[in-house]
Amino acid sequence: MDIVRKRKIESFVALTLSTLAAMSGLFWLVFILGDVLIHGIGALNLGLFLEDPAPPGIEGGGLRNAFVGQLLITLCATIIGVPLGVLGGTFLAEYARGRKIARIISILSDIMVSVPSIVVGTFIYAVLVKPLGHFNGWAGAVALAIIMVPVVLRTTEDMLTLVPWTLREAAFALGAPYYKVIIQVVYRGAAAGILTGILLSIARVAGETAPLLFTSFNNSFFSVNMNEPISSLTVTIFQYAMGPYDSWHAQAWAASLIITIFILMLTIAGRLIIRWRYGKR
Amino acid sequence: MPLLFKKNPVDIFFSVITALAALSVVVFIAGILYILIRESSLSIERFGVFNFIFSTDWDPVRESFGAATNLFGTAVTTFLSLLFAIPVAVGIAIFVTEIAPNFLKGPIGVAIELLAAIPSIIYGMWGLFTLAPIMSEYIEPALQASLGKVPVLGILFEGTPMGIDLLTASVILSIMIIPFTASISRDAFNLTPAVVKESAYALGATRWEVVKNVVIPYSRLGIFGGVVLSLGRALGETMAVAFVLGNNHQITSSLLDAAATITVTLANEFTEADTDLYLSSLFYLALILFVLSFITLAIAKIFLLRAERRS
Amino acid sequence: MTEIALEVKKLDFYYSGEVHALKNINLPVYKNTVTALIGPSGCGKTTLLRCFNRMHDLYPGNRYNGEIIFKGKNILSKDIDLIDLRSRIGMVFQKPTPFPMSIFDNIAYGLKLRGIKGRTELSERVEKALRHAALWDEVKDKLNESAYALSGGQQQRLVIARALAVEPEVLLFDEPTSALDPISTAKIEELAVRLKEDVTVIIVTHNMQQAARISDWTGFLMLGELIEFDKTDKIFTNPSQKLTEDYITGRFG
Repeated sequence: MDIVRKRKIESFVALTLSTLAAMSGLFWLVFILGDVLIHGIGALNLGLFLEDPAPPGIEGGGLRNAFVGQLLITLCATIIGVPLGVLGGTFLAEYARGRKIARIISILSDIMVSVPSIVVGTFIYAVLVKPLGHFNGWAGAVALAIIMVPVVLRTTEDMLTLVPWTLREAAFALGAPYYKVIIQVVYRGAAAGILTGILLSIARVAGETAPLLFTSFNNSFFSVNMNEPISSLTVTIFQYAMGPYDSWHAQAWAASLIITIFILMLTIAGRLIIRWRYGKR
Repeated sequence: MPLLFKKNPVDIFFSVITALAALSVVVFIAGILYILIRESSLSIERFGVFNFIFSTDWDPVRESFGAATNLFGTAVTTFLSLLFAIPVAVGIAIFVTEIAPNFLKGPIGVAIELLAAIPSIIYGMWGLFTLAPIMSEYIEPALQASLGKVPVLGILFEGTPMGIDLLTASVILSIMIIPFTASISRDAFNLTPAVVKESAYALGATRWEVVKNVVIPYSRLGIFGGVVLSLGRALGETMAVAFVLGNNHQITSSLLDAAATITVTLANEFTEADTDLYLSSLFYLALILFVLSFITLAIAKIFLLRAERRS
Repeated sequence: MTEIALEVKKLDFYYSGEVHALKNINLPVYKNTVTALIGPSGCGKTTLLRCFNRMHDLYPGNRYNGEIIFKGKNILSKDIDLIDLRSRIGMVFQKPTPFPMSIFDNIAYGLKLRGIKGRTELSERVEKALRHAALWDEVKDKLNESAYALSGGQQQRLVIARALAVEPEVLLFDEPTSALDPISTAKIEELAVRLKEDVTVIIVTHNMQQAARISDWTGFLMLGELIEFDKTDKIFTNPSQKLTEDYITGRFG
């Protein structure tokens, strides 16, 4: 009997440690989010959204340029990245289904999803910044798009694969060409999943900093010219946080709060769509 | 078989368009590799491969560059962060799959996903303004007073605790990779058939014995893949460490010293590089990082695929 | 004349969500016999089997009412030590469930849990269990190889040997041959019959010929109720209930 007791104690200890590990995961989440919330809310005001930055060291001013720049870069990245991703995923799941090329590209995409984003930044610098001689918004958008493509491509592939093959056969039986079957039947069946993939990919790139550092760079003035350096929230946060002024730190916290809320909302929306469409998992 | 339907001209057009889109991923990877090699060729010609990797020089004034200090920082932060993260992540996976009552499984799963979604710059901010002061005021002095007194081990905790150092960077990095490792381990655990677990219970095994002897051995390929994937992520993480590592090109014995990783060097110096050789050497660093992480991620993928296939 | 090994008294079982899966089950299980539980799928035969080693406790929300008496104690009571209970009442599942370790370690696993560490004692008992399960000759030269290398039928006998190694008093079989080919099935059936010299066997099967071939007693369940329990000969030749007769003559199910 003694050994049973020992085994039970061992089990209890190990399971308690696992539970503590899980609690510590929650602890960090609450700690970090709470911290961002507390510091961020204190620094939130209308001027943050409506005014451009004050000269360094001077109180006041806002981050209007960074908000607009961030939106612009993310929007352009989405316009470039999403069609590429969705179409590429379509090729893998439909025209190349079951073929070796589909499998290879699928694996390469999975790897590409985790490739360091700063490397993408250096690549775009060499291709779109150095030849032009100056940082520009397009370079930032393309860098983010490159990060988006594999994410969207893989989700699209998975979601299209989930659509039953018989559904396609039923449409073929009516004499529809393949492209019509894909656009009218398959896309419709997988729409919710693809949308989730797009939302999550936007959430992924909206918080990226490293690939923007040497592409869109930063601009302390308001600008919507994508051919010029353009400000973004994330690069501004980096610059302000590392800077010497308290007012900069406060604004960096406020920007962190906004960007965190935006990204978490996108992530949760994506999860909800999946749950609503595919049932709870 | 889908090829049969390609007779329609619109279909041919559409299939070519989608094929080109899919190939873009290959183009990106090949492009990155080609461009990075081209841009770093100046530095490669000057310093070679082995000399560059093993040289601890990083002197923009004398234009003498080597990767050793950066590789050192990357290796130490990656290793330490995995050391901290793996036990916690596996613990979380055990909790979620084997212990948590059903009503808790969902919320904890969501919490892990959210932790993974928080952008790295937020971790960096938090690390700089919240964690670093805590480290320098409480944790690091406490470590010096305890482990610092132990012979040999004490070397790791020498110096003035500033909070901007290898240890703080590794802690932040570990918090960042916990969710990845945890969710992949959880998926791996879930591949263990319920009936195999039940038959261990039916022999009178305790819950922990089932986890230790059946679930973990059964999912070791998947867990290993998850760990390697986290390694790949940690290698290339920039913003979470850029705030708190100090960008100091040195190889130190103490974890309480500032250092530099490849990513931190790139983030801090890329826009300041004023000579061709300097910039080329930074590209060289990026190339090394790209190759390292690509290989690591490919290995992770192979393990994860094999784990999937086996079940 | 024969001793009772397990006695089920007024057993009700509810799955989480209050699904009433077993209704007022009363049945004796005689020592050193093979008792078969038959019935259409969803009738509760597997549910009943999993009550004997409290497998349902692994999932939250399941609830028992009534008693199962084993060695004078109600094994459904809260203070029963499940680890002890499960090492006395072993179980074999539908599909072979070898653990991810060597053949030797699979068999030795239950012994090690009980604190048996000596290499010689382990070897002896592993050999004994493998001989008992009629697998020794086939695996004696590859005890250190992975258990996954064995065929399905061999794996199932390995799992039986693993259950036997800890010398349980009762062995529960949950459709143990449903995933096997006819030859492997025959070997397992032969084994089950031979095992009753040492242990009490309860087997769930949806194969009525199998129940008729190997069991001494048979219980027929439908919709969570025990319709009839009697000697196997009686059930298959002259059942007292119309429902039983309809089922065994293949009129439904």
